[in-house]
Parts: sequence; C-alpha cells; structure tokens
Amino acid sequence: MNKLKKVFVRWESFLVVLIVLEMVIFGSINAKFLNITRLFNSLNQFIPICIISLFVTFVMITGGIDIQAGSIVGLTSIAVAVLWNDAGLNIFVASFIGIMAGMLCGALSGFFIAYTGVQPMVVTLGGSFLYSGLALAVTGLSSTEAYKGISNFPEAFRALSKSKLFDTVPTQFLIFLALVVISFILLHRTNYGRRVFLCGVNCNAAEFSGIHSRGIVMSTYILSGMSASVAGILLTAYLGTAKADMGSEYTLPIITAVVLGGTSNLGGSGGVIGTALAALTIGLLRIGLNLSGMATQYLDIPVGVLLVAVVAFRFAGTNPRLKKLFSRPKRAAAVAKNK
Amino acid sequence: MLKKLLHSRETTAIGFILLMFLGVGAINPAFLTADNIWLCLNSSVVYTVAAVGIALVIMTGEIDVSVGATLGMTAAMCGTMIRDGEPWAWAIGAAMAAGLLIGMINGFGVTVLRIPSIIMTLGMNGIVRGLIYVYTDGRWVENISFDFKILAQGRLWGAFTYFYLGALALIAAVHLLLTKTRKGRYLGAVGDNAGGAMLLGIPVNGAKWVSFALCGLLTAVGGVLYVSRVGFVTPIAGSGYEMKVIAACVLGGISLTGGVGSVIGAAVGAAIMASISRVLVFIGLSSTYDDTITGIFLIVIVVSDALIRRRAVERARRERLTAKTQHAAEAKG
Repeated sequence: MNKLKKVFVRWESFLVVLIVLEMVIFGSINAKFLNITRLFNSLNQFIPICIISLFVTFVMITGGIDIQAGSIVGLTSIAVAVLWNDAGLNIFVASFIGIMAGMLCGALSGFFIAYTGVQPMVVTLGGSFLYSGLALAVTGLSSTEAYKGISNFPEAFRALSKSKLFDTVPTQFLIFLALVVISFILLHRTNYGRRVFLCGVNCNAAEFSGIHSRGIVMSTYILSGMSASVAGILLTAYLGTAKADMGSEYTLPIITAVVLGGTSNLGGSGGVIGTALAALTIGLLRIGLNLSGMATQYLDIPVGVLLVAVVAFRFAGTNPRLKKLFSRPKRAAAVAKNK
Repeated sequence: MLKKLLHSRETTAIGFILLMFLGVGAINPAFLTADNIWLCLNSSVVYTVAAVGIALVIMTGEIDVSVGATLGMTAAMCGTMIRDGEPWAWAIGAAMAAGLLIGMINGFGVTVLRIPSIIMTLGMNGIVRGLIYVYTDGRWVENISFDFKILAQGRLWGAFTYFYLGALALIAAVHLLLTKTRKGRYLGAVGDNAGGAMLLGIPVNGAKWVSFALCGLLTAVGGVLYVSRVGFVTPIAGSGYEMKVIAACVLGGISLTGGVGSVIGAAVGAAIMASISRVLVFIGLSSTYDDTITGIFLIVIVVSDALIRRRAVERARRERLTAKTQHAAEAKG
C-alpha cells in the first residue's frame, strides 16, 4: 500500500494522468487526434524539443541553465548543409562534423561557466548570440541565397525521418526513445549521474569529496550541445531544408519541458523521465489545441499558462502566508470539533 | 573620489564604449563625426528605457524575460489606438497601464506564488506574445499618424532627440531614486542579501513586486517610443529584445546575482548594444555579424571582469593573511 501511495505521489504519475486526460479530451473533441499515424506525424515537429530538453535536464540539475541550445540547432543545421552542399562531403560525415561542432559549442560555454564562475544564464545568453550569429556567417559561405535555405538532400539522409517502423512509428520517435533510455541510465544509474546531482546539491561538498565538479558541470553543457546538434540534424532531415534560424524559438518550450518535468531550476533534483513525459505533454497539448481549431500563433498562450500554473501549484506551498490561508478553514473546523 | 570612480562597475563599460568609438574612428574617421555619434546614441533610446526597467528587476536578484513581449504588446496597443484616431493620451495611458499590469502579474507570481522569476516571466513572455496575435489578429499595425511618428525626429540643437533627452532625465531620476532615497536603496539591499534585508525589516517581497511593476511600466514607455521611432508594429515586434536588454545590463556591469551595478551602467550597455551594428558597417563588415560580435563582446567582457575580480579578491586575501602572520610573529618576538 505504501509503495502504491509513493507511485501516486510521484510527479511523473501526475504527468501520465495529464497525458491521458489530454488524450481523452482532445480525442472527444476531434476524433482525428486519436489516429496514431497522424499523431506521430504531428509529433515529429516536436521531437527536436523533446530531445534537447532531455539533456538540458542535466544542465539544470547542476543548477545551471541553457538558453543557447536553440541557436546550436540552427548552427548545426546550416553547417551540415554547407559542408554537404558546398564542400562536397558525404552527408553523414557532415552530420558527424556537425555533432562535433555542437559539442564544441557546448564545451566553450561550459568551460566559461565552470572555470570562471560567471553565471550560466549570462554565458549561454552570450552563446546564443554567438552561435546564431555564426550560423548566419556560415550561411554566407554557401552559394545558395540565405532566404531559400539549402535543400535536395539525398534520400538516405531524409530516411532518418521518413522511414517508419511497422509503417507507424517514425524513426525520429525511436531515436527519442533510445535517447530517453540512454540519458536515464546515464543520469540515474551511473556514477556520473550521481556526481551531476551532487554538483547541483552542493558544489563545494562535491569538490571536497574528491569529485572534479568543474569537469562535471562542463560536461553537462557538452551533452546539451550535442543533443541540440542531433536535434538540428533530425529537424533538417525532417523538413528537407536547412536554415540558419531554425530552432530560434525553442527556448520557451525547452525550459518549460524541463521545469514541468519536475526538475528544480535551483539544481539538485529532477529526472529525465519527468522531462520526457512533460515534453510529450506539451507536444500533445499543442497538437490537440491545433486540431481543435486554435491557430498556431496562439499556442504559446496555453503553454505559458500551463507552465506558470503548474509551477505555481508546486511552489505556492513554500509561501507561509498562502499556506495559512488555505489551511485555516481546516484548522478552524478542527478546533470547533474539539470544543 | 577618483579611486571610487575607478572601482565602480560602470567604469569598465564607459571605458569600453570610448575605446570602441576611438578604435573604429581610427579605422574610419567618418565614424567619429558628431552627427554619427548622436545617431548611435539616439537609436539606443528604446533599449535604454527598457534596460533601465529590467535593471531594477535584476538589481533585486530576479530576472524578467517577458520584456520583449511586453514591449511588443504595448507598442501594438499604442499603435492601434493612435491609428484609430484615439487621443494620444489615451493610447499612451492604455499602453502604460498594460505594461504595469503585466509587471504586476509577474511580481504577483514571483512574490506570492513563489514561482522562480525566470520561469514566471518565460511563461508570461509566451502568453503575452500569443495575446499580441489575438489583439492584432496577426496583422501589422500600419498607417500610424504622421504627427506621432515625427515626434521621434525632433532634436534639440540638432543633437539629442527629445526622446533621448527624456531617457537621460529618466536615468538620472531612477539613479537618484536608487542611491539617495531610503526606499530606493531597498532594491539593491534585497538583491545583495535577501535574508539580511528581511532581518533588517525591509519588505523584501514588496521591493521585488515594485521592481517588476516598474519594469513593466518602463518597458511600456519603451513600447510607445518604439511605435513613434519605427512607425509600424508587427506581431513579432520586440521579440529578442529581452535578450538584448539583459545583455545590455550585463555589459553595463550589472550582476545577474543582484545587488551590484547601476542604471547608468545599463544605459551605457544599451548604447553599446545599439552601436554595434553601426560599428560593423563603418569597419566594412556585413551587419550579419551583428549577433556574433554581440555574443563575443558579452562573453569576453563578462569573463574578463570575473577573472579580474577574482584576482582582486585573491590578492586581498593574501594581503590579509600575510598581515596576520606578521602580526603574530611580532607579538611573539
């Protein structure tokens, strides 16, 4: 019984309930929502955000924040395309170099954050300017005009997002699932993961217990940079064009997914399963509202409301005055009963 | 006095902007003409006003990333009302009220509901951006009366626009408020050490709430100026401004941990941010490098500042230690 109670109290269970609720509500509004093929197709656009938020979770657990991931998406996308189109490299070699570049971007920001003690927000803010600017500069190297974007990728590359398992589950979703498993094992089942948590709880204590905390902090940014470039490659394969400004509006959904998933923005607690579920919750919310007739431009409103409402729900209890406000009637009733 | 000046955080930023102007002037003397310098400063007015607003929030140790959407929303409201022939006072008043309201909601979320400010304002940014689409129906606000647009062009003696002069007056007023009045100093105290401030009897949450509300209000002022300067409002107006404005504050020596820096620094940072694209044109680079240079400046300035400060702290500690050991040795001998 106790164990069962624990499962129900867990934040992740709440998210599962939320997903089921969404399924029921949107399914009853519009039956198209429950069409699996269609659902996966719509979800494809959201997969890059899901993938990045998995690894931004690592960063936030160490107490940092990463607002540069979106710009790395664009940089990777355009860099891979230019390497393939103008330098004549094999597309997969180009993708590999793209992932390396993403890791390098993450490493650069991570280095400054870990070794100079500047706030993560500031460094990744600078990083987001720097990498999106570099993406524009890389576009300039190409013979194609910037506004057109580079397209006509080989079939083998497009297969990354076009092929489907059993004709329903797209490869992108499988890659996402694989990354969930990998990141889960990395964060919750290895020494490395324990160290990431400890760095977030108390960086000094981690340092004193012989953990190379700076290296750990830096490595989380490398991971998030890598995931951003993987997402950039998948997005390029899915859309069939590469543009420098891809992913520029990803910051809100990424942070929303991580925080909604139960990771504290102060570091020290959280997990990737929550993040994955939260990312799916947001994705389904957007698809569902869209199918129910809401225009795409308005979708930020419910996502923003959801973020604020959920976090308010979690944090309002820490305000003693509010707590008193809500527990007063109960106490009054108890007092009356005793008399 | 001189020592105090050298140690203040804005000095780095002011030195940097002077160095930038002189350096670019050495490459291309056309940059150092009076007219161009006025242009650089005048074009920073929207950034400046919004940066002063967000500086108040950052000073208390919180952050507001809803500035971009707030600016767009207030600009859209002001623009629409002026286009529809409402009196200017109404339009400006409505925009400021909207900005104030958004700021108050942010403050409510952060102080009462205890939502971390970055999350509260990030959510607010999405919500308000969506509301702009609802309000404008996704269309551009155009055909704004010429009389309103010409306001941005008016200059005193051919130098500063009246807008920039107004912004300077605003900076002076806010700076005096923050440094010379009792209530104003609360903001810095709260950002420096919230727990200590609370023990001293400073209303920590009240101060934070006020700072968010003022930030919304000043951003709305920025939105009104934006309408007059740009002359039309798109649904994505002001997006990305939040990052530019935070970057301006950081360049101006304001620490995101709170309690350190001044609005003068924020204004200097805003001038740097606004000048970068002009600088690029004058040294013969394409303005597509704008973001790259901004990012490099931001990282280089902040990192070097952190290293210098760390070194100073180390040196002070070493001096203290040697003084201690000497003292002990003398006492023994």
